Amino acid sequence: MDEQARAILQRILRKLPSKKTPSTLRAWGCLSAEQLEDLDYTQPKWLLLENLISKCEESGLRLKDVTKLEMVYHIENPNQGKWHAFKLTEPEDEAVSVDFTQFKEMFVAHLEEVVQHVSIRMKKQEDGAVWIRMAWGDNLTRPNHLKPTYAVHYLQTPYVFILNLSAKHKPFLYQALVLSSRHTSINEAHLSGRSLTAMRDLLMKQYQQVFPNQERTLKERNAPPSHPNIEKEHAESAERTHQMACEAFGDGTVPKLETAVYKLETRYRGSSNDTLSDRDELFRGVVKFSSPNLLESLRHCVSTGMAEAPVTPLLSSITQKGRNYFVIAEKAPGATSQTPAR
Amino acid sequence: MEGRVSAVNTPAHTRLTRRKSYGRNCMESPVVFWQTPGHLTTLGTRIPTSRGAARSRNITSKVDPEQLALLVKHEWKLAYVTPLYRFQHTQLKLYSKHLTAFILAEKQQGVAIEVGLEAGFKVTLSTIHGMAETEEDAETVFIQIHSKPTFGADALKPVWRGWLTCVNGDGEYLRSLPPDFVSLPLFCSSGSESLTSLVRVWFERTFDCNFGSLFLNSTTLNWLAALWTGCHPTSNIRFLKLSWTMPTQPSLDIMYTVNPQDAWELWNSIHTEDSAEGRIHIDEVQRFMNGLETHFFRHFKIYLSAGTLTKVATSLGSAHHEGKIKIGSSDYIDTLLTLLTECALHRTPV
Repeated sequence: MDEQARAILQRILRKLPSKKTPSTLRAWGCLSAEQLEDLDYTQPKWLLLENLISKCEESGLRLKDVTKLEMVYHIENPNQGKWHAFKLTEPEDEAVSVDFTQFKEMFVAHLEEVVQHVSIRMKKQEDGAVWIRMAWGDNLTRPNHLKPTYAVHYLQTPYVFILNLSAKHKPFLYQALVLSSRHTSINEAHLSGRSLTAMRDLLMKQYQQVFPNQERTLKERNAPPSHPNIEKEHAESAERTHQMACEAFGDGTVPKLETAVYKLETRYRGSSNDTLSDRDELFRGVVKFSSPNLLESLRHCVSTGMAEAPVTPLLSSITQKGRNYFVIAEKAPGATSQTPAR
Repeated sequence: MEGRVSAVNTPAHTRLTRRKSYGRNCMESPVVFWQTPGHLTTLGTRIPTSRGAARSRNITSKVDPEQLALLVKHEWKLAYVTPLYRFQHTQLKLYSKHLTAFILAEKQQGVAIEVGLEAGFKVTLSTIHGMAETEEDAETVFIQIHSKPTFGADALKPVWRGWLTCVNGDGEYLRSLPPDFVSLPLFCSSGSESLTSLVRVWFERTFDCNFGSLFLNSTTLNWLAALWTGCHPTSNIRFLKLSWTMPTQPSLDIMYTVNPQDAWELWNSIHTEDSAEGRIHIDEVQRFMNGLETHFFRHFKIYLSAGTLTKVATSLGSAHHEGKIKIGSSDYIDTLLTLLTECALHRTPV
């Protein structure tokens, strides 16, 4: 066990809650059941670490085994660190038939061709996610296992999620992903957050969606003038706002996004009697929404009337386009409509 | 339905008398929603509707820059203080000794004895000359607590800071105080909560005064947003950051960062220079904030008025509605302290 292996082991053990430690070590599968029985998980972590290291040495485990444990930890805790979403575009005809073995072979080959020292570990999960761990070195240095990059790709979908990617390694990883998944290019999806699962659910629409009710829209269009029974009218209107809130942000449990950022490069739209309304220059600013569960907050905001229904396209674009970073620009000089641009 | 029947059956004259008595109650004790009974103030009716625009004052020529630097960068927790009885700026050395002894005694008898670094304390009180703006303002008092390491000859480590100040305090009120009282209504502290409360207790016992927490309402924050934005041409404010919290479940934070130049142009289009010697009127402040909120609404259709304005920040400083401030630069420090002195005086029970 070298220094790097010790450091990685220490880092994982520190992050793991004591309760979860035995199950994670079992999932790792590098130590025998007896060895795991021997360990006392109630010990202080520094002591447990020493004992764990001696067990690892007993079994002749090495750096590559420890990186496997790190991967197990990340797969079990997909809500750590800041993930960025990417989208592969223009699939080739073969894209639909790429299987895991093919993908793995090609990915490793492409990456090793351009980066001399890179250590790659890949694992396919039951949900179809391919987890890739990359430790980078350069021409002269060995791969640095303390700063690995993680990428998660769902085969046969255009989505890739990446954690800890430096600008230096970006082009290499992009190219390897594009070539091995049989696509033509890859773009940033302008979606980022701590929760990989939430971002996946949002992009793959794996949450309870509500679609505009045809009947309701028709009824509204032919609605008779205001109802005399105010109470009923209020209930109907409340139900309608709730429905519209759910159409925009989903029903039930929604993907747990934390933030959404809008860069505003639009003209001033304040009160009409301000002289600034006439000027041509843009009124620049950045709006950041944050909440423990952004979509739930926004849904509540609309259904309680703190925001006007129907929901503005700016906010509904979060779910509709699966993004949480937008640049809002003026569509054309003089146009007043707001469209999420770029 | 039942209520309606009984209303019909009630003789007309009883209803009339009852209504009359309600009316009298209203006249006798006006319901002022921001004041709790017993906290009526003499200043309550004198909330200014206009104030002087922030002007760059070369404060370093009046105040020692080193002392000024002590006030910048830290986050200060605000409190109001009632006038101090028999406080004398000439006795600060003696007060330092007493306060040191008091803190040591309290720390030793309490359960929370911190072994090691905090075994010894050294308290210094000093005057920051030149902060006062008017004849009536008392000079600012700065308190610093250092911990003395028990081992080795390491330098003293500052563990707590606080200051009491009065800038442009209401002259009429200050003149009306009995001669033995000194008013330093604004107390700012930075450091552990336990030391803050020890300092408070010592002041309360020694000068027969009272401390209370000071919150900043949205009007105060609006004033700051406008005053700071007005500084932009002379001192780059770098950004105007406004934060709201919406009462949704879970709660939603909205942070709106406005480009400083654009914010200033909006302010400039609302504020007319020629209005009474560079004074700013509350209406202008409201229109400025409304302008920003409307611009936001046109994009997101969210009524910010349903939420609470929690924070205003520029590079000159920041203010949080829970009563926390940061002073980013010593320029315009008097504008901020004038406003806060006023808030503190309004909160002071009489």
